[in-house]
Amino acid sequence: MLLFIPTLIGLTVIVFTLLHIGGTTKLLAMYLSPRLTGAARAHVIAELDAKFHLNQPVYVQYFYWLIQILEGNWGITNTPLYSGPVTQAIAIFFPNTLILTIFAAIIIWLVSIPLGVHTAVNRDKPSDNAIRVASLTFYAMPWYLIGVVLIIIFAVYFRILPIAGTVNPSLVVGLSWYHNGISYPTHILLIDALLHGDFKVAWNAFLHLIMPSVTLSLGVMAALIRLMRGTMLETMDQDFVNFARAKGVPEKVVINLHAKNNALLPVVTNFGYLVAGLLGGVVVIEDVFSYPGIGMWLTSAMLNNDMGGIMGGTLLFGLILVTTSLFLDILYAKIDPRIRY
Amino acid sequence: MMENRKHDSSPIVKIENLHLHYYTRRGIYKALNGVNLEIRRGEVLGVAGESGCGKSTLGRAIMGIIPRNAAIVEGKILVDGVDYLKPLREYFKKAKKFKPTKNQDLLKKVNEEMSKIRGQKISMVFQEPMTTLNPLLTVGYQISEVLFYHNPGLLASRRLARARATKEDTKNIVKILKEEGEGERLRQYLKNRNIMGLEDQIISIWRRKELHDLKKEQMILELCCEPISSMARGYLEQIEKTNSLPKFSKLPIVGRIVKRELLKEAFKKSAEFLGLLGIPDPDKVVYMYPHELSGGQRQRIVITTAMINNPNLVILDEPTSALDVTIQAQILELVKELKEKINSTYMFISHDLSVLSEVSDRIAIMYAGQVVEVGPKSAIFNSPKHPYTQMLMEAIPTIEAHELKGIKGEVPDMRNPPKGCMFYPRCPYAMPICKEKRPPLFKVGEDHYVACYLYGGEKK
Ligand SMILES: Nc1ncnc2c1ncn2[C@@H]1O[C@H](COP(=O)(O)OP(=O)(O)O)[C@@H](O)[C@H]1O
Ligand code: SF4
Ligand SMILES: [Mg+2]
Repeated sequence: MLLFIPTLIGLTVIVFTLLHIGGTTKLLAMYLSPRLTGAARAHVIAELDAKFHLNQPVYVQYFYWLIQILEGNWGITNTPLYSGPVTQAIAIFFPNTLILTIFAAIIIWLVSIPLGVHTAVNRDKPSDNAIRVASLTFYAMPWYLIGVVLIIIFAVYFRILPIAGTVNPSLVVGLSWYHNGISYPTHILLIDALLHGDFKVAWNAFLHLIMPSVTLSLGVMAALIRLMRGTMLETMDQDFVNFARAKGVPEKVVINLHAKNNALLPVVTNFGYLVAGLLGGVVVIEDVFSYPGIGMWLTSAMLNNDMGGIMGGTLLFGLILVTTSLFLDILYAKIDPRIRY
Repeated sequence: MMENRKHDSSPIVKIENLHLHYYTRRGIYKALNGVNLEIRRGEVLGVAGESGCGKSTLGRAIMGIIPRNAAIVEGKILVDGVDYLKPLREYFKKAKKFKPTKNQDLLKKVNEEMSKIRGQKISMVFQEPMTTLNPLLTVGYQISEVLFYHNPGLLASRRLARARATKEDTKNIVKILKEEGEGERLRQYLKNRNIMGLEDQIISIWRRKELHDLKKEQMILELCCEPISSMARGYLEQIEKTNSLPKFSKLPIVGRIVKRELLKEAFKKSAEFLGLLGIPDPDKVVYMYPHELSGGQRQRIVITTAMINNPNLVILDEPTSALDVTIQAQILELVKELKEKINSTYMFISHDLSVLSEVSDRIAIMYAGQVVEVGPKSAIFNSPKHPYTQMLMEAIPTIEAHELKGIKGEVPDMRNPPKGCMFYPRCPYAMPICKEKRPPLFKVGEDHYVACYLYGGEKK
């Protein structure tokens, strides 16, 4: 909990330092619309100069910049995908990524915890070996490869899942709550469609989410299964598990209540790293599936050397990681009675 | 009491020529090499021996709580005449190569069979109180589990009794208690009124020493008229009759209601039991987590858990070794008190002979996975026969003895134990035959047996 603030400060310092490596030009590029020319441009530059105190030492500039960030002035992004304030771009792209990651996280949790328990309980049996081989295979495969394989199987060969995007365009033509590929009010098509009672669109949006989220989860699942298996094996050797057996508690309860809950503790702690991994995967997967989320915007920002996008994305990812670990700390404290704030 | 014990014929546990080997990557550890031992009803059997001689393995094997890499190579353990480890032994006999995975499958079956008697007929207290309790569950819950899974009928009848009893009833009960104490008349009254479930609740209040009589009376008067929903009542009545968790306890909502009701009652009973053992604030303690308690308190909780169902046999695996000296003495007192209160059988494992001298009726001395001497406590202490036992006795420091130390030589490598007598390499009296053949147990006195060629066999 206490690490929250210093982490954020560290993060912003890094971002700011990166911005300053080439002098103030990058900072300016981040806040200056390229469409401006002539006198107007000079005027805005002077304005920014005053705002960021660009004539002052770097560490002073940092504070003025931080104030702008805190006030929500994250600069301007200018890519073929979107052009406008960074915060606006985040508001549009982030919800899509959020739902994708949430889907993936749910799949990961629902699959890897039971599999981890199963493989530990059936250690060295054929099912354990099979699951280990399969998960390691996915772990070793790069994300885009998994994505392409899934596309070939399910979209090209079986034709049961859509190849790309968030929705079949013909379904959303003329909808009052959908413009230019953006749905309203939440910007998450699936949820917006449900809110408007359009179940056909909602179902279609759901189908579009399946492959990206499955791909995303397959890439990191192996790590979690392995971790769960390991901690479970360790826990099953503990005295209190044997004591539960010595009490005559049914084996099922011994495994699922006594062993599993204790084995989950280290897994919860490590789930943060997993989320970090997911964010890395998002960039690749959104590209593979042409899925309009933060990753796609970031890719396009990097290709276009768009400072606003790159810095905004870095800050955002940092923020997500910090909030996730904060959330996990709270969760941990809730499960483990030994920890109380 | 002693008379009773002698006349009770069949031993509660009979171990015959038990060989147990641990298969590890570093080799096969032959932890038990032909253990012969019986535990008789009503006795306290002390088991002593150096660390690593297989005491815990033996205790756990009786409970059937052994790891997957433990092979039952030969011999059997009869618990009340039942050979629970039979599938494991048969597997080992059959198998060309011992596979832990296959052993584990059979162990699962053994677990299933034995979970019916564990915590109910036989229970065990482990050495390390710090790790024996689940850190994520309240101690009350952990005690309650034993009641919930083995004695739901008792819980149901306790709860129902409080619903059935009237104010009039509790007044009468107090009257009876004052006149005649907790005798037959009280039982008769409870039986006639169909409120037998009150018995242990009343007694647990009445016996508490630290409470004033008026307070006790008031507490007993409160054991009545507790309303209960008709649905819960129906279910509890069924559980009371069958003393088992019926099918409906697996249904999602009903099961929850029933389980909650039973667990609540189990917490009450746990607190009562802790109170009887003289643990202060038992009503608060049951809602605490293990980390909030000291080592001694935790061990009391563990012992409570093991004892609350009045098991026939309790295996105490060095219950005091991990504790401070003063706490050790308290726990020992507790065990002695329980021994008086609850008519049970105890196997008390310790590496500390002075502890055993306080609690045991008989003592078995183990060395390198074998029982080398067994006999009445007095015989073991007054005329130890086995050279190893004699050395142990000499090694006991006179004041405040704690550990078996200061014996010359080393315990044999259990991957490659001596072919003959295990003690041969360290024995000052070793003879040629000792190197060739394992000595069987020879009778040397009344109920006193020793595995040593000095006392029998073809001496050469
Ligand atoms: N799970 C296990 N795997 C392998 N070897 C074990 C295992 N448990 C115990 N042993 C070995 O078995 C022997 C007896 O151990 P144990 O029964 O714990 O002795 P004690 O309780 O008398 O100290 C020791 O040599 C120990 O190393
Ligand atoms: S059998 Fe032989 S070696 Fe073993 S204790 Fe007796 S005398 Fe010593
Ligand atoms: Mg031990």
